[in-house]
Amino acid sequence: MTRTQLKEHPYRPHLAVIKEIIQETPTIRTFRLTWKDPAVSAHFSFQPGQVGQLSAFGVGESTFVINSPPTRREYLQFSVMRTGEVTRALHQLNVGDTVGVRAPLGNSFPYTSMKGRDILFIGGGIGMAPLRTLLLTMIDNRADFGDITVIYGARSPEDLCYRYEFDAWRAARVNLVLTVDREFPGWTERVGFVPTILAEEAPNPYNRVAITCGPPIMIKFVLAGLRELGYEDDQIYTTLERRMKCGIGLCGRCNIGGTYVCVDGPVFSGTALRAMPPEL
Amino acid sequence: MNNASFVSHAELADLLRRLSEQAEVWVPTRQAMTPHRPMFRPFQAGMDLDFQPMPVTSAKGVLFPQGEELLKFRKEKSLSEATVTTLLWEDPAVFRPTIVFGCRPCDARGFLVFDRAFLQGSFVDPFYKARRDKNLVVSMVCPEPDAACFCGAVGSHPADTEGSDVQMIPVKEGYVLHGLTEKGQEFLKNVENTPSQAQQEEARQVWTSAQGSVDSGASLTDDAQHFFKRFADTAFWRFHTERCLSCGVCTYLCPTCYCFTLTDETNGVHGERLRSWDACMFHHFTQEASGHNPRPTKAERFRNRVGHKFSYFPEKHGRFACCGCGRCLRHCPVGMDIRAIVRALGESEEVHD
Amino acid sequence: MNTLQSIVESIWDQVDVVLGWRVGYDPLHPVPTFVRDRKDIASLIWNPLCAPNLSVFLAKFFRTASQRDKKIGILAKGCDSRSLTALIQEGLVDRDRLLIVGLTCPGTVDPDALAAARTQSGPITAVAFANGMVEITSADGVECVPLDRVIERRCQRCRHAHPVLYDVVLHDFEPRPVPKDPFAHVEALENQSLEARKAFWLKELERCLRCYACRNACPLCVCQDHCLAESRTPKWVTQKDTVADKFLFHMIHTLHLAGRCTECGECERACPMKIPVGLLKEKTAQIAMDLWHYESGTDPGARPPLLSYDASVTGI
Repeated sequence: MTRTQLKEHPYRPHLAVIKEIIQETPTIRTFRLTWKDPAVSAHFSFQPGQVGQLSAFGVGESTFVINSPPTRREYLQFSVMRTGEVTRALHQLNVGDTVGVRAPLGNSFPYTSMKGRDILFIGGGIGMAPLRTLLLTMIDNRADFGDITVIYGARSPEDLCYRYEFDAWRAARVNLVLTVDREFPGWTERVGFVPTILAEEAPNPYNRVAITCGPPIMIKFVLAGLRELGYEDDQIYTTLERRMKCGIGLCGRCNIGGTYVCVDGPVFSGTALRAMPPEL
Repeated sequence: MNNASFVSHAELADLLRRLSEQAEVWVPTRQAMTPHRPMFRPFQAGMDLDFQPMPVTSAKGVLFPQGEELLKFRKEKSLSEATVTTLLWEDPAVFRPTIVFGCRPCDARGFLVFDRAFLQGSFVDPFYKARRDKNLVVSMVCPEPDAACFCGAVGSHPADTEGSDVQMIPVKEGYVLHGLTEKGQEFLKNVENTPSQAQQEEARQVWTSAQGSVDSGASLTDDAQHFFKRFADTAFWRFHTERCLSCGVCTYLCPTCYCFTLTDETNGVHGERLRSWDACMFHHFTQEASGHNPRPTKAERFRNRVGHKFSYFPEKHGRFACCGCGRCLRHCPVGMDIRAIVRALGESEEVHD
Repeated sequence: MNTLQSIVESIWDQVDVVLGWRVGYDPLHPVPTFVRDRKDIASLIWNPLCAPNLSVFLAKFFRTASQRDKKIGILAKGCDSRSLTALIQEGLVDRDRLLIVGLTCPGTVDPDALAAARTQSGPITAVAFANGMVEITSADGVECVPLDRVIERRCQRCRHAHPVLYDVVLHDFEPRPVPKDPFAHVEALENQSLEARKAFWLKELERCLRCYACRNACPLCVCQDHCLAESRTPKWVTQKDTVADKFLFHMIHTLHLAGRCTECGECERACPMKIPVGLLKEKTAQIAMDLWHYESGTDPGARPPLLSYDASVTGI
């Protein structure tokens, strides 16, 4: 749907059909959707980092980042970890089933300002989802960027999402550093928590932007680690997550101080994070 | 003065009956079981009207109903066994015009807070807008502010006209009505009588004496500036919220509270998405599926309530999200006093352990 | 002679905190207070306006993890002492951790009834109690109203105006005599036809805002953060603004309190819409009395009937 459509009918989901389901990890499934209405399909546009409200009709809505890049329009992709009632209901859906989507909502990564710079992605678990959107957009415009390093960790090898794409990322000259929390049989990549690997890799902050997303505790240590490495607040971006209902800055749940994660976020710079009251 | 009309006590019911033909007219009425707690109801002939005590509920439900259907859906299995959903979407229905008749000036100003949130935020709420466009507010000069009233501390007074289309002033024989807006002037065409010279004079006196009748102490504006300084003072918030029961009385009675939830309610293959009142004081309000809760205790929840009303909202919209009606305090089972907490924000002395 | 202050002073060394009441935003509305500093003992008050049942804070909100050797002091009217007893019966509060200051109670004031009984209208500056009268001072002067005329419905049917459990008792007020028929209100309703009763509850519950003050003010509603009223998994009640949903919540609330409710009436007092929700619980109390001769919250050693299972019992 277009921005105008969403502005006029902010509570109105548009129907989408599940074209493909990928079992990423034991608890995470990726849904590839296509709009039911060709008119919506023709006009839909978004920016990397923006989110959508997915409806499992009869159960409710939840917020997920759109993790397919705007440069690839054949489907709209969301990765869903099974944690609550809506995600459980979404996991019960099959190819061909209908869901509702309200999108795009929220702000986006400052993609244009990242052009010409080196990039560092630091992701943990399902936190790779918002990073993937931006990463693939950059891969599709690879000449616009310098070094792209991705540090991606999960508890175990089977908890890493998008494994089937790792080769493609590397083929696009992405320096992919994978890590898991402890040794596993057959695992040949790194072992250790993401913040530790970050300190070991120590990507040079010169003319570089770091984007991180993962569990709150990981983000906390990654932010500290980045500052340790000399990254300034305005070189750091992360996304925040809150319980949301409306997605349009009204229902009263997702605010941190006067900042509404649903409309002012989910993307925040290190500078913005510092200005927020401590209520994470 | 051609913008004044007069309606006598005897003619009031007939006026409301005539108005009801064009609009849904919400009036404060007395219920048999709760004679001291009038509430707003759509006017019906024979109703027991009561403009004297402040109604227990505000009139907010007129524009923001407690429960409201946003859309309907229907789920069916297709031949291929896939679940196909059909959405039945009606644009915000053609709502009937509404008149809020005889609310207090504080309630009228409460709608201005809603206007900022629902009409001037990142998104326009189409349901609120559709209702608000066809709404008219007739407020009455407040006859008897009580100890819980504090409109004076939030920049208002019991004879305030802000947010009202028509102001009604109680005089001995009835009410003098003033049209304040274009809509209000139009409305006065329904009331043919003009007030006598004596009634005009009496109205002027009632208005003037009401204007000065609330002494709610100094404005809360200066105290509210200290909110962020106190934000991380956990002991302050624990101390001041210790007796709170975490129920929803304060928020549900508040004319300016608009937190809501969205839920899908189903009946077989049919269902609807419902928007209903929710309260930031409830534990589950910010409870996340992961188990994390950013506002896990009543201390954080109450802090958010104070912050929203006296800091976050004013920063964005230039006015308190509080109209000083005092319902939160008057009807709290344990007398939680938000005024006192805002005042304490600026106290230099540590009042807690 | 003992005063509230002298009693609290005398127990001070044994307690971490005393739960009591102090003056609220006006003389009509005392509020709960948690006295942790000896100098604040002076702020404590007790009179028939001290309506809130302080035992609500014990199991639900109030934690004193530190200084386990000291006790929690609590002021308790008759009805409050029954709630304390029930909490002890259910193992939710440790008797040994409590120091109960019992208060003989003449009944608490219904603010709406007091407003109706007044002939003056000015803001109240002081309220005093003497010789069965409420003495109200306002800008208009002083007027007296008989306390009996303005006490709450819950107190009109109170059988335990003298506390049932305490360590020390303060006899500032004559306890209200036990009424002839404590279940008169329930019976009056029950004597009506089914249609009339249905109409009554539809009309009353239609006002319910679902603010859950009745639940949160109840000392024995102890699972509130996980209450089925808000649970979506499983979903018991919808969020619809219909009488049917409101009725369902109140019925579930009542049934969870069957054989447990101590008839303190806080649910009804806390209701901003003045829905007589206490009647529902009174009915279950009456049933418990009829079936098992059981009166909740009167014996700390007794086992609540619905917490026990006896296969030999028939006819229920």
